[in-house]
Formats: sequence, C-alpha cells, structure tokens
Amino acid sequence: MKNPFIKYLYQKLVWYLVAFFVAVSLNFILPRLIPGNPVAVIVNQMAVGGVQSEALEKLYNTFMQEFGLDKPLYMQYFEYLKNVFRGNLGTSFMLYPGRVNDLIGRALPWTIILQVPAILTGWIIGNLLGAFSAYKGSRFDSVVFTTSLVFSNIPYYCLAIVLLYLLGVRFTIFPVGGGYGFGMIPTFSWHFITDTLYHYILPYCSMVLVAIGGQAIGMREMSIYELTSDYVNYSRNLGIRDEKIIRYVFRNAMLPQITGLAISFGTMMGGALITESVFSYPGIGSLLFTAIRQSDYPLIQGCTLIITIAVLLANFLVEIAYGFIDPRIRAVQLGER
Amino acid sequence: MKDIFILLFRSKRFIVGSILFLSVLLFALIGPMLTPKSPFQMVGGLFSPPSDKFILGTDNLGRDVFIQLMYGTRTSLLIGLTAGIIATSIGVTIGSIAGYKGGITEEILMGITNVFITIPSIVILILLSIAIKTRSALVMGLVIGITAWPWAARAVRAQTASLKTREHIDIARISGFNTFEMIIWEILPYMFSYIFMVFILQFSGGILNEATLSMLGLGPYQTVSLGVMLHWSLLWEAVRTGAWWAFIPPVICLSITTFSLMSMNASMDEIFNPKLRRG
Amino acid sequence: MENLLTANQLKAYYRTVQGEEVKAVDDVFLEVKEGEVLGIAGESGCGKSTLASVLSFTILPPLYLIDGEVIVDSHNIFILDKETLRREIKGRYISIVPQGAMNSLNPTSRIKNFVIDVLKEHFPDITKEEALKRARERFEALSLPARILDAYPHQLSGGMKQRTVTVISTLLNPSVLIADEPTSALDVSSQKIVIKLFVELLKRNIIKSIVFITHELLLLRHFADRIAIMYAGKIIELGPMEEVIFSPLHPYTKLLISSILVPEAGMKEKKIDAIPGVPPDLKNPPSGCRFHPRCPSYMKGVCEKISPNLVDITQEHKVSCFLYGGKDGT
Repeated sequence: MKNPFIKYLYQKLVWYLVAFFVAVSLNFILPRLIPGNPVAVIVNQMAVGGVQSEALEKLYNTFMQEFGLDKPLYMQYFEYLKNVFRGNLGTSFMLYPGRVNDLIGRALPWTIILQVPAILTGWIIGNLLGAFSAYKGSRFDSVVFTTSLVFSNIPYYCLAIVLLYLLGVRFTIFPVGGGYGFGMIPTFSWHFITDTLYHYILPYCSMVLVAIGGQAIGMREMSIYELTSDYVNYSRNLGIRDEKIIRYVFRNAMLPQITGLAISFGTMMGGALITESVFSYPGIGSLLFTAIRQSDYPLIQGCTLIITIAVLLANFLVEIAYGFIDPRIRAVQLGER
Repeated sequence: MKDIFILLFRSKRFIVGSILFLSVLLFALIGPMLTPKSPFQMVGGLFSPPSDKFILGTDNLGRDVFIQLMYGTRTSLLIGLTAGIIATSIGVTIGSIAGYKGGITEEILMGITNVFITIPSIVILILLSIAIKTRSALVMGLVIGITAWPWAARAVRAQTASLKTREHIDIARISGFNTFEMIIWEILPYMFSYIFMVFILQFSGGILNEATLSMLGLGPYQTVSLGVMLHWSLLWEAVRTGAWWAFIPPVICLSITTFSLMSMNASMDEIFNPKLRRG
Repeated sequence: MENLLTANQLKAYYRTVQGEEVKAVDDVFLEVKEGEVLGIAGESGCGKSTLASVLSFTILPPLYLIDGEVIVDSHNIFILDKETLRREIKGRYISIVPQGAMNSLNPTSRIKNFVIDVLKEHFPDITKEEALKRARERFEALSLPARILDAYPHQLSGGMKQRTVTVISTLLNPSVLIADEPTSALDVSSQKIVIKLFVELLKRNIIKSIVFITHELLLLRHFADRIAIMYAGKIIELGPMEEVIFSPLHPYTKLLISSILVPEAGMKEKKIDAIPGVPPDLKNPPSGCRFHPRCPSYMKGVCEKISPNLVDITQEHKVSCFLYGGKDGT
C-alpha cells in the first residue's frame, strides 16, 4: 500500500509547510507593529548608564543596521525569511552581542528533555487509566472521572506552584528550582546528573499529572463509545470472550487518541513554558519569561519561532504515524470509500 | 426543553459545578462592592502573613491580598467572558457558513481554520500581546477571543453539516430563504445546546489563557487579575519566601473556576449525548 | 419432534434514566422447529429487535430480563453459567445475524482475523492456517469470493457485508439462526441474493432453522413456513404462513395484511387501508388487550379489562383475541 501512503505523506507535508509559512510571517509582522523604535528605547536606556553620546550614536547605527531596521518593511521581511532559512535568528537586544541561536541552543535541550517524556508518559498512563476506567465502570469509574476532571482543569503552573511550595519550601524534599544545583557547572559527571534528576522531578510530575487527567477523560469517552458499538455486541453474540473484545475496543479507541497526542503538544506548550518559569528551570520557558520582561524582541521572536517549529514538527510526525496505523485513512486516499 | 433542565438538575456533577461557579461569581461581583478599599493601596508590611487585620495577608508591596483576590477574580472572569463571547461568535459564524454552504466556501474557510489550529495559539497570543498598544481587560479578552475561534468553528461546522441533511432544511430552502435566514432560523436554534457548551469551553479557556499570558508578563496594565497576582508571586519570589497566601488563593480561585465550568460542561455533554450515559 | 428452541413467558424491559419501564418484550411464547423458517413480523417499535437481543443473549443495561425461560435440549439456558453459555451456545447452537450488520464488523481489522478469532474461541486447538482454510471453504461453498477474507469492512458493499456477516454467523453450524431485519437496508436485488443465501444454508443443513425478523410481511410470503405476528411486546398470532396471510384471525393481522400492496391474483380488488391510530407507548401500554384502542372489533367491557391468552384454534394456528375465546381456561 505504498502509493496511497506516500500521497498522504505528501499532502501532509505541503499542509505543514503552508502552516509554517503563515506562522513565520506572523512571527515577523506582529512584533513590527509595536509603535516606536525599540532600538531607540534600548539605546536611551544605555544612555542612562552614562555612555558617551558619540559612542551611543555609533551603537544606534550599528543596531539599526544589524537589525535591518533602516530598510523598508518588505525588504526586512525577505531579510528575515532568508535568515530563518539559514538558521540565523539574530542577536539579542539585551544580552548583546549574545546570539539568539546560542541562547536558545542552550535552553532547548532542557526543554525537550522535560516536556517530551512528560507528555508521552502522561499520554500513556492517561490512556491506560481512561480505558480501564471505562471497562470497569461503577464507582471506580466515577472516582477516576471526577479526579481526572479536577486534574485536567488545573493549569499546569497552578499544580506546579502548589507542588513547589509544598514539597520544596514547606517540606524541603525537593529543591526549589533551577535545573541543577546552584553554583554547579554542567558536566557529565554522575554527581551532576543525579543532581539534575533531582531537580527534574517536580516539574516533570506536575506536567505528567495534568496530562494524565486530560488523556484519561478523552480515552474514557472514546472507550465508552466503542464499548457500546455494534461490532462489540456482535463479537459477544458469537461467543468471543471479553478480554479479546477489550483488545479490539482499545485499539479502536486509541486511534483518535493519537491525534490527541499531536494536539497536546500544541496545547500544553503554554502551560509547560510557565512551569519552567515557576521552577526557574533553564529551558525555553524561563528564557521567554526573561525576554518578555526585558522587551528583547529578537529573543522573543526566536523563542516563538522555535516553539512553532517544535509543535508543527511534533504534529506532523504524529499525523504520519496515524496514517500508517489506521487502514481507513489509507483507504480514503485510495478512493475506496 | 424542560426535560433537559430536569435532567440537568438531577445530575450531581452539574449541581456541584454550578454551585461552585456561582460562589466564585458572587465573590467576584459582590465582594468589590462591599469594600471601599482598593487593591493597589499599600496598607501593611511586606509579605505579612494572614492576620486579623488582613484575612489573606499582604503581598510584596504591602497590598491587601484578599481585596486583590476579589478584584482579580472579577477581572479574570470579565476577560474570560469577553474572550468566550468573541470566540464563540466568530466560530459559530464561520463554522455554520462553512458547514451549510459546503463546496469551495467550506474548503477555504476550513483551510484557514485548520491552519490556525495547527499553529500553537500561545505563540500568536504572545506575539499579539506584545504588539498592541494598550492592554486593558477588554482588549485582552479580544485578543484571546481572536486566537481561540478555530476550535469553535470546527465543532460548529461538523454539527451544521449533519443538521443540514434534516428534512426541515429542504422544506425551508424551497420556501425561498436565503443563506443567512436559513442559518439563523433553521440551523442555529437546533444547535443551541451545543453552542452553549462551546461557549462554556471558550469561557473557561479564556480565563486560563489570560492567566497564562499574565504570568508571562503580558497581562493587562494597571489591573489586577488572578494571573497578574501569580505573576507578582513569581517575580517577587513569594514561593521561595514561603508567602503562600500570595499565590495559593489565586491558584485555588483559578482552579475552582475552571473546574466548575468544566464539570458543568461534562454533565451537559452526558445529557445531550446519551451514549455516554452509563447503565 | 422436540422443538429446537422454546421460549416461555419471556419478559424483558428497559429501565429509563427517569425510572420508567419500557415493556418491550412482555410474556412472549415462541417455539422453533427443526428445518423451518419462522418469521416474526410487526410494526417498528413492537419489540421484535428486543426479542432478537434476548434470544441471542445481548441483554445489557438498560435492558433487563425480568422473567421467562428459553429451553434448548430440555435445559433452560438462562440459568447456565457464562462460560458454558459462551462456549456451547453462543454462535454454536443459537447464532444471530444482527440488525445493522453493516456496522457489526470491526472497522480496523481484516475479515479473516475476525473469523480466526471466532473459530479459535470455540476450537482452541485449531491453528490459524486450518481456521483460514475452513473459512475459505465455507465462503466459496456459498458462492462468496474468498478475497473478502483479506479485505477491510469498508471495502465491501452493503450487500456483500450482509452476506459476509451471515456466513460468519453460521460458521459454527448453529441449529438456530436468528436474522434481525437482514434485508431492511438493502435494495431489492441485494435482498434477493441474501434470501437465496439463507435458503442455501438451510438446504445444505449448515443450519437447522431460521427465525427471520422483519417488518416486511411480504418477504415472509415466499420464504417462511410459519409466521408469528408481534404487537406491543406480545405475540398475538402464530401459525402456518398460508393461514396467517390468507386467513388471518386477529383483527390486527387482518388490518396488517390489507394495508399491504400485493400484486397477486385475487388481491387486486382489495383496498389499501392504513391501520388507524398509532402504535402504543410501551411505557404505559393500554390495559388488557393492547390492541383494543385501535381494534375495529373492540368489545367494550371485555377487551380493556384483561389480556387474552394465546389459544389454539387449530393444532398449528394460535391467536390471542377474545373473539376466539382466550378468557382463562377457554
């Protein structure tokens, strides 16, 4: 069935490229709508620090040239696109001459290591829980449902703050923040790694718990729906035992959940970023937080771009996987329906 | 219609949800009316714990936390409401037109919708919030509403598409109604309960998005909201100082609000969707 | 000769969220004889599908079995434990071709995998290859292309799916096959093919009897040996096909027959009458004889008081109507 699948792949690819393009354009345009000249603001701020006016002017011109703000808008746009495709995200305002690439490059691994496992774990456990709960029914189901409802609707950062306070400050079981011990230098030593893990646990748990809640609810609903479907009844009529039927049901209920996984990457993003800020975890979240506070537009733009790319990529991969697994999707491409 | 209400009020979950929500609402609306004090007045020591004088203590600048909570909840609800109304309105409009007309119109509208669903909304929210000049509560509601409509549009389109196949549609179309009249009189009334549920979801989502934006530092100027309170706690290290009264109350308020709204939504879903009812 | 299946005093009700009871199957008597096609006919909502569910053991909330027994081989199978039921009866002695056979196949697995599961469930020692072989032989014997086995359900047409489900339901050579509206969703030519399949199954002795449930009385004209008419949860007439269709006894049956367009000699002169009134609400069925509000032969003081029993008019033909006796003991 290679042909219809490749067609599917191709369609999806085009689609995501379009979305990416729109996102990049928005990423470019929106910050440019800010009234006033950010460079002037920054240079003025530096003037307060007592820098010579001649040096200031030189700085101003350098900045303007560097950020291309002296050229008309459409030229800036092409410049921006060119840079993005070359992988150059510009220079930070605040931490000049630090390059945005470097800053993000340092923060990104931390974010990935935290979020990807957290989302995946939450997804797996959540789905298992939801399916099991649907099957068992009665009190177990009510309890699980209500608990999931509670957990899935508490914003990540709320749970994060509460956990941090309870387990970090009140009862000092876990460290109160950072990715690793204060004053430590990242190395590949065992000591460092364990220390990192120690710091990792709270942010990880807060994200997983909320993710479980959300997934459990969705999976439970799908499972209940499938459990009452005709093919389940028919299988029962022919004497197939429950354990086997459950396997059919879960497989079918899982499929839409895979799309749910793709969607989670997008929706969890906001909350995940703030969780990082709460724990002063050295990922993109904290970076963004600081950047916003200091109006460091190139850095903000760089972060949002990376976030967009990450989410789009995750979505794309998941959709491809889904097309691979569900025969009906492939059939649609083949025009069998 | 009446049976629906009867069923709703029989559902424990719905009752709990609505009572919780009403309490929050009362707190947010009546509270500020009962006190002359302002949330921005510096009235006490910095980060002083709850006492007889201040029920919930003071924040990093010596302001009364309890009063902040009241005003803050009000602002958050207002922003959420604005966002909910805007998102639902746009979503219903686009979704119903797309679902009813079908063909090219549907493809284009849904194409646009899908692009905006794929792009993470938080990114657009951040970028928009940075770009705008004033950030009042209403403007924030507007911004959030503008980024949230795709979900509503998608849901409404699916419902419209299935409703379109019902008999009364053909009859009405023959009677010569144009597209807008058809949608308003023949489609929307049947989706009322569905649209309402969509609205509740958007309302709840709006409150959460406001909190997220505010926590990142992109909240409304000169106003206190639940998210802003949390932002201050983050900024001024309330957590590490152990000043739990500065952040636990807004967390609780936020959680109760969203939980109650989603509970109500879940029970409504069960009532309107009989397959989900058990036994 | 002993019946293959006898149902006595079968009662199954639905319990609604509001606490009401829908008496869908209320005191039903039925017997299925070897080699016959028993048709069960009635309007929509008369409880036929519920009856099918009960007879095929799909009794799940909100449906509850209130009373009654189903006797097979002198045993009341409702008392049997779940395991025996599953291994010996389901699919093996009594099997069903469900209503909505279109959706009865798992959309994400190939037909052959489902078939293998069914066979393995009842013959645990069978290998996959053997199971496939048996399936292929059966399919081909009944003029169905073996390539169906490799397909997914969505790749088959409606009629094809119906026939596939029918073959799968009879893989284990059940003695009683219950067919619940097998032709309702099909066009006329597909209907014919499906009915042919049923006839073939019976002729080859793969199955020993068929209970054919439908709302189309005409179908039964050419196909059934005996007909049972169901109304509001009860069997009100039961007899040989010729007698029920050409000399109906119950007023409802008479109205039903005359409301059908029949292009047959001797029937052209008959007028088409719709049956007056509406089918009763099974939450609060009419008192006494359930048909009395719509009955042209309604006898005041009798029909609304008590419900008539099923009485033998001839050895084969039974009816429950006070016009023919039916008061206690008569």
